[in-house]
Amino acid sequence: MSDALILELKKLIIETLKLEEVTPEEIKDDGQLFGEGLGLDSIDALELVVALEKIYGVVIPDSEVGERVFRSVKTLAQFVREQSKNSSQQSAISKGNKK
Amino acid sequence: MKYDETGLRVRFNEVDSWGIVWHGHFISWFEVGRMALLGKFHLLPKDFTQMGYIAPVVDLKCVFKEPARLDEEILVRTTVLKPTKAALTFRFQVLRKSDGKLLASGEETQVLLTLDGRMLYIIPQNLRERLQPLFDYLEEPDSPA
Repeated sequence: MSDALILELKKLIIETLKLEEVTPEEIKDDGQLFGEGLGLDSIDALELVVALEKIYGVVIPDSEVGERVFRSVKTLAQFVREQSKNSSQQSAISKGNKK
Repeated sequence: MKYDETGLRVRFNEVDSWGIVWHGHFISWFEVGRMALLGKFHLLPKDFTQMGYIAPVVDLKCVFKEPARLDEEILVRTTVLKPTKAALTFRFQVLRKSDGKLLASGEETQVLLTLDGRMLYIIPQNLRERLQPLFDYLEEPDSPA
């Protein structure tokens, strides 16, 4: 998995949630984001969902998906990667259909 | 942004032994304001439930400026911020009617859950449509006093 994406996501979390006292190095790739660990809450999740959709075009509809995706930065990166792949495949398919 | 306004009168059971309204009652006055506003648009808790959602409060703050006293007439002013995420944020002002003095101001955030407890990260289209008239109303300019 690309370290670049993981670092980018850590920076996104810090900037979106204004975690001014946290550095990307302090967020563990496998560490919990909610509750224990980084200690994020439900409103933080909503803020992150908006930022992730805006930047990566990925949609996290609810807590059912969110609990899996927001387990750690690593699982988040995996989701972003998978969704981006799916959406580029989708757009390739729709472009193909238009021919 | 427009505030909706409703009135109430301080009741005997709301006053503490210092002769002023106990601070917790301001929160229930926020509720009076919220219900008055949402009721106009058929967005009361029962309406949310009928649509398949509940909206629990997850954040609440109140700043107290001046005390309220027994039998005073109170105005509760309420508005809702246009959502930038899947949450509803209400703002409140509590004023003394006689002189318009601001007694307290506050803010409250509610998230959206399905009836089986799943938290929504995106406002569903059916609810978005139901909320639109409320936001249209709040964007109207305030009518002159």
